[in-house]
Amino acid sequence: MAQCVQSVQEFVQDSFVPMVAVLCSEEAERVTRKNNLNFAELLRPFCRLTSEGHMRDPNNQVQVVKNLRIFVNNVVTSPNRPPTALSHAQSKILNEVVLSCQPQEGVVNNVVTAGDYDLNFSATTPWFETYRENFLQSMPASDHEFLNHYLACLLVVSSTEAVPVEQFLKLSQEQHRIQHSGEYTNPKWFIPNTLKYYVLLHDMSEGDEQRADAVYEDMKQRYGSQGCYLLKMNTRSFSAEGDEQIPDPWSQYLQRNILHTQVRTANNISAAEVDNGVSGSLESHPLQLDITSSSGSLHTLGAVKTELKKGARDPESLAGGAGSHGACLTLNDHDHIRQFIQEFTFRGLLPHIEKNIRQLNDQVKTLILKMYPPEAPELQIRKMADLCFLVQHYELAYSCYHTAKKDFLSDQAMLYAAGALEMAAVSAFLQAGAPRPYPAHYMDTAIQTYRDVCKNMVLAERCVLLNAEILKSQGKYSDAATLLIKMTSEDSDLRSALLLEQAAHCFINMRNPMVRKFAFHMILAGHRFSKAGQRRHALRCYCQAMQVYKERSWSLAEDHINFTIGRQSFTLRQPEKAVIAFRQILTNDSRQTATQQSAFLREYLYVYKSAIEGNEVSLPQLPLPCIHCSATRVYFGHERRLAEGEKQAATHVSLDQEYDQDSADMWCHLEEQLVAAANRGIVPVNFQPTQCCLNSQTDNQRHPLAVVEEPIIVEVTFRNPLKVSLALSNLSLLWRFTADDAPPSKEKMTNELAITNEEILALGMTQKDDIVTTEVIQEFQMGPEETKMARLRLLPHRTGQLNVVGVVYNLAASSSGEMAANTEGNQTFDVMVVHGKQDLMIQGPRLNQTKEDKMTVRHGHDQRLNFIVTSPMPLMEIFFLQFPTALLCGEIRKAYVEFCNVSSVALCGLRVVSTHPDFFSFGSQATTPLTPVSPTSAENNSAYKTLATPPQSGSAAFEMLVSAEDFSQPSGVIDIPIDGSTLQPGESTQLPLWLRGPDQEGVHEINFLFYYESTGKGNKISHRVLRHTVFICASRSLSVQASACRSCVPPHHSLGDKGGGGTLIFIDVENINMVRYTAFSLCLPASPPDCKLTSRERAKLCFRATRCKPQKATSDAIKKYTFTDLNLGNERIISSSTPCGDFFFRGCQTSESQRLDAPSSRTSCSSKSQSCVSTEDRSSDITNIVRKCNELDLNIIVIWKAYVVEDNKQLILEGQLHVALQTIGKEASSLTPREEAQEMVLLKFKSQLPPPVILPSAELSQLVKTSLHYPETYTHPFVQDSLCVVPVTLTLSNCSLAQVDVIIDLRHKGTSPETLEVHSSFTWVGQTQYKLQLKPQEVLCLTLQACFLQAGVYNLNTPRVFAKPAEQGAMCETSQQTASPSLIFINNA
Amino acid sequence: MNYTSRANNYPLYIRSVPTQNELKFHYTVHTSLDVVEEKISAVGKSLGDQRELYLGLLYPTEDYKVYGYVTNSKVKFVIVVDSSNTSLRDNEIRSMFRKLHNSFTDVMCNPFHNPGDQIQSKAFDGIVSGMMVQTG
Repeated sequence: MAQCVQSVQEFVQDSFVPMVAVLCSEEAERVTRKNNLNFAELLRPFCRLTSEGHMRDPNNQVQVVKNLRIFVNNVVTSPNRPPTALSHAQSKILNEVVLSCQPQEGVVNNVVTAGDYDLNFSATTPWFETYRENFLQSMPASDHEFLNHYLACLLVVSSTEAVPVEQFLKLSQEQHRIQHSGEYTNPKWFIPNTLKYYVLLHDMSEGDEQRADAVYEDMKQRYGSQGCYLLKMNTRSFSAEGDEQIPDPWSQYLQRNILHTQVRTANNISAAEVDNGVSGSLESHPLQLDITSSSGSLHTLGAVKTELKKGARDPESLAGGAGSHGACLTLNDHDHIRQFIQEFTFRGLLPHIEKNIRQLNDQVKTLILKMYPPEAPELQIRKMADLCFLVQHYELAYSCYHTAKKDFLSDQAMLYAAGALEMAAVSAFLQAGAPRPYPAHYMDTAIQTYRDVCKNMVLAERCVLLNAEILKSQGKYSDAATLLIKMTSEDSDLRSALLLEQAAHCFINMRNPMVRKFAFHMILAGHRFSKAGQRRHALRCYCQAMQVYKERSWSLAEDHINFTIGRQSFTLRQPEKAVIAFRQILTNDSRQTATQQSAFLREYLYVYKSAIEGNEVSLPQLPLPCIHCSATRVYFGHERRLAEGEKQAATHVSLDQEYDQDSADMWCHLEEQLVAAANRGIVPVNFQPTQCCLNSQTDNQRHPLAVVEEPIIVEVTFRNPLKVSLALSNLSLLWRFTADDAPPSKEKMTNELAITNEEILALGMTQKDDIVTTEVIQEFQMGPEETKMARLRLLPHRTGQLNVVGVVYNLAASSSGEMAANTEGNQTFDVMVVHGKQDLMIQGPRLNQTKEDKMTVRHGHDQRLNFIVTSPMPLMEIFFLQFPTALLCGEIRKAYVEFCNVSSVALCGLRVVSTHPDFFSFGSQATTPLTPVSPTSAENNSAYKTLATPPQSGSAAFEMLVSAEDFSQPSGVIDIPIDGSTLQPGESTQLPLWLRGPDQEGVHEINFLFYYESTGKGNKISHRVLRHTVFICASRSLSVQASACRSCVPPHHSLGDKGGGGTLIFIDVENINMVRYTAFSLCLPASPPDCKLTSRERAKLCFRATRCKPQKATSDAIKKYTFTDLNLGNERIISSSTPCGDFFFRGCQTSESQRLDAPSSRTSCSSKSQSCVSTEDRSSDITNIVRKCNELDLNIIVIWKAYVVEDNKQLILEGQLHVALQTIGKEASSLTPREEAQEMVLLKFKSQLPPPVILPSAELSQLVKTSLHYPETYTHPFVQDSLCVVPVTLTLSNCSLAQVDVIIDLRHKGTSPETLEVHSSFTWVGQTQYKLQLKPQEVLCLTLQACFLQAGVYNLNTPRVFAKPAEQGAMCETSQQTASPSLIFINNA
Repeated sequence: MNYTSRANNYPLYIRSVPTQNELKFHYTVHTSLDVVEEKISAVGKSLGDQRELYLGLLYPTEDYKVYGYVTNSKVKFVIVVDSSNTSLRDNEIRSMFRKLHNSFTDVMCNPFHNPGDQIQSKAFDGIVSGMMVQTG
């Protein structure tokens, strides 16, 4: 039970007070009426005595009577029998009492913490106390007890009466008649000779005071000074009101008084209205959601609303009717009245009671002796007990009650017995320092008897109320709760509700608070309250219970409570609260079925609709559908044309693409390169990559920049949590715009323009169109539990700051078909559509940088939706023509690219960068041939520039010297050569573009990033970029393997002709195309008709390369490349021009970009060329020297044609492959070798000493190349001359770039039997040992002489050549490689 | 017939066979937790570890009998049975709880189950359904 203002003692005492009747003359009534009160009411505030009274008990002991209260009431006669239940009128009044007593707003509730629940509710329940007080006061007097029988009667006569004494007589007679005539069963009188107290009322404002005094004197004579009183009042004239503020003690009694009077008077009032009001409420099982007939329930809600209005008015009217009380009374008059009451009680009433107790005591004593006389002696005991009780003589009262109880029980007078039991228990409780424990079982018996035997619910209820309060005071909350719950029944909802609520309070007040029981009983109470028409109380109960169920995943219960709260709030005209409650149902993860959800939704929409009616200031928030804020994506940029005929637009970025961190990094890196290129190689400090599409993963810390007149698309993710579909309409963004020129404080809020009404919103939109055009999605359907994205467009027309704050839409249940089937048709549908908004609040990512960030939860800013609209920027579109999707490896294809400036601003600085710079080329400016710019007849055109030449022998080669600068650009960034380097608004230009299939087969993703900037300066956006991604499927074509080896054939020509020595180049070409249908045949444009290679065929070509002459211009430090074209067909392709050269240099760049030491390289078109080595540092490092001597910087380009049959059409595809030969003897391939898996290295536990630096003899043995020159056959007449001397020239050429010491030893060394044999036949004559020094690359000829003794075949290759690099003293000479046998035929002439 | 199991006073699993009155059972079960807690606190002091897990009949209502069971880790099981069902004695209820507890342990052993989440396990469903069918 809740806490009460009164203590238990006070409460029980006040429940049973001496009753005093009042009879007024008409004149006296008139006098009191001046104060808007009748006499009884006038006295009421003063009825509690503040001073102590004394009286003697039958044993002559003085008893102190403290804090006594009397109850003064007008006599109302009625012939009715006292009912066992409250009449309708009484119920109605009780109902109104409870209704009018509501918890005050803003009263501080106390918080109870039980377990993990924090409950916030008011501990006091004043409405319950009020109810209880009124209930007890309205108790009908009954025969079996006397407590509320009148003890005395005040006879009031005004002094203005002509003969007051006569009036007194008249009243006295009337009292007598009422009590004794037997006409009336009500009111009941305690004792046959009721105390009559004569009161003369004197109105100071009109009557003659002397006369009044005289009459009073007369009265004293007649009735004794203790039986009469002169009450002077109305000192203040009525007109003088307002002069003095006088406290109004009546106000708190006012309503009760009026109601109470009504109780006494209005037994016959029809209570039909009240009944209506009550039965019109939600009648259903407390645990059932009545939503099956939702239209019906809505109807009910409406009905209840009007009902409520009526109810709400009633207490007001009552209050208004009794506006000012005691207007004619001064504070002095108040004191007079107080004195009067005191006088009456102490001088009149108490002595009267004392006298009667004595009499009864005497009577009882004799009666007991007499042993049960027939005339109900027990009643006399009871009467005495009641009297004692009323004057707080509880001990005596208890013994009397106890006696009476026994008597009644033995007589089987159950009602009487129950009454005596009840009062015995109460008096036992009230005995201070009670010698006996509180007899709770008395009470239980009493209640049971009242209820079950006597069927008197009123008395049972009184008993329960008393008992519960007493139990509560003893801390027996559990018992009290059980008692209260037992007392609930179907006959009175109000009582049940109040008692259940008290039971709930009992549960929460227990030592171990039972929170859930509290909540459950609160719900039951709430249900009963609502049935009793006490909506406000019902709502409060449900709200309190909600605290227990909230967010504890008891979702069904939670939904039920929310639903009820919603309805009750709605009927109570608290639509905001209702909306919140309904929101809860809809936003929670619902376990409800679809039908229930749709009912909830409809109800919500209805409530919401009526809630926002007339509230047009701002749009309210809608709970549905859920917006997944962080998933919001923003896209800047206009909608590009995707394709136009054959044109294929650049892919760029679109909302359909998923965000990928790797690719974002890649693009960022590319953009960095571009910006660096545009800013002379330095990336500006404030560089930020352009972000066209913002999402949760992008960096959103800065305000994104949008451009005027370019659309912004915001993609909002909606999720429908319900199992029913939703229909959204007129979906659009809500934004806030601050113009650049406007002062920042003066913001234009669209909220002000966005108005609930659809038409006005539309009107508002037209107004706003000059700033931002907002796209509206007319229809947006969401299926059950669907997640759907909506793309909403904004088109800013002015510069400034634009913030997207939310979305506006109309929400409706999607079951429109169902609704249309209703009789109302469209009307119903309209009702169900509500207009509202939802905010878009994006929380940034959680910060985790500093310590503070880590310790707390902090979030960064997310500026995704706060755009800065800047001045116009150029906008470019790019289209590709004839862009292939599949290429052979190395295939060259020509395509066209078209740049369109679609903005109104000129653009310039067009650049592009790609992840695969070797994939494409725009051609080089220097060598760009005059190709047709338009792709009209491009189909059969070769990508190459060819010259028809007659077939030539392979020896003829065209040489061309080309600088690398012409082709390559310093970085991967390529300037796009457009005419005039600017593109005017609306202008478009087309450029040829050569593509080369990647060298590796497979699908390649190739990314282009185009860069351009505005011709104007000072923009917030420095540049713009456009992305393009293509996927190229490369299939295998040819595999070219090349190797070089030193030729040992002596040079044919004079020594100076073509350098030191020839190099043989072997080229192996294999068709490795596996695709059968292409009927692939590769054709080298070779001189023999056509050297076609079908699949898996292989051809071997052999060339000889010679070192070309060192260029004079090498000192210019410009790296020049020598291109040598070797023509095998009848067409000559100038390899040094576009596109062949472009791709060659591209390929070099990418593949060798890390090779720093590549001094220069040289290419040959399907043939040979040599490096002209630019100035070299002389390096003493032997390894270097040796390596250098083997180094061969030779690149081979193989240009091929492929005849592919596709769709019965023969296509000729062309391509080129590059092979770079670095060293002699090493094989190189056009196919980059497969990355071999790193071989497992055996773990070595012993550290092995690194092998001593021994130069491989193979390398050192090639320092010097030797060749012998001599006549192949020599005819000598041995007959004439036995000695044949043949001159032989030994050519020594130093291959290295260092000085070499050479030792030549001609002596034969007999190491093997063969040599022995040979040297016996010929010998070297002349100097047999030479020591020479060879300068770098020097060629030296030595003339030797061989002497033969007889004819035959000799091997001249016997000289042993030892070489060592000069200045390497420690190094021993290495024997140089001996060439193959040099045979000489000596003939005998 | 209605079986539920729950922990930390958040429902982990609720199942009732006549589904039309589910809300009522939810309220009943929720309210019964007060009694469960009362019983635990009363027993816990006296016996300590030796506590009997089965709490017996929590309280009878007009239509239902509510039985309770609490594991050592304070996971509560509540079974609500129709009062008219006389076939279920104390022993049967006890064994039902034991079965439920075993099955619940299995669910908790699932490494993919996040303790505190609602139980979504086919095996558990099956056990509960089996018991419900068996008892009618």
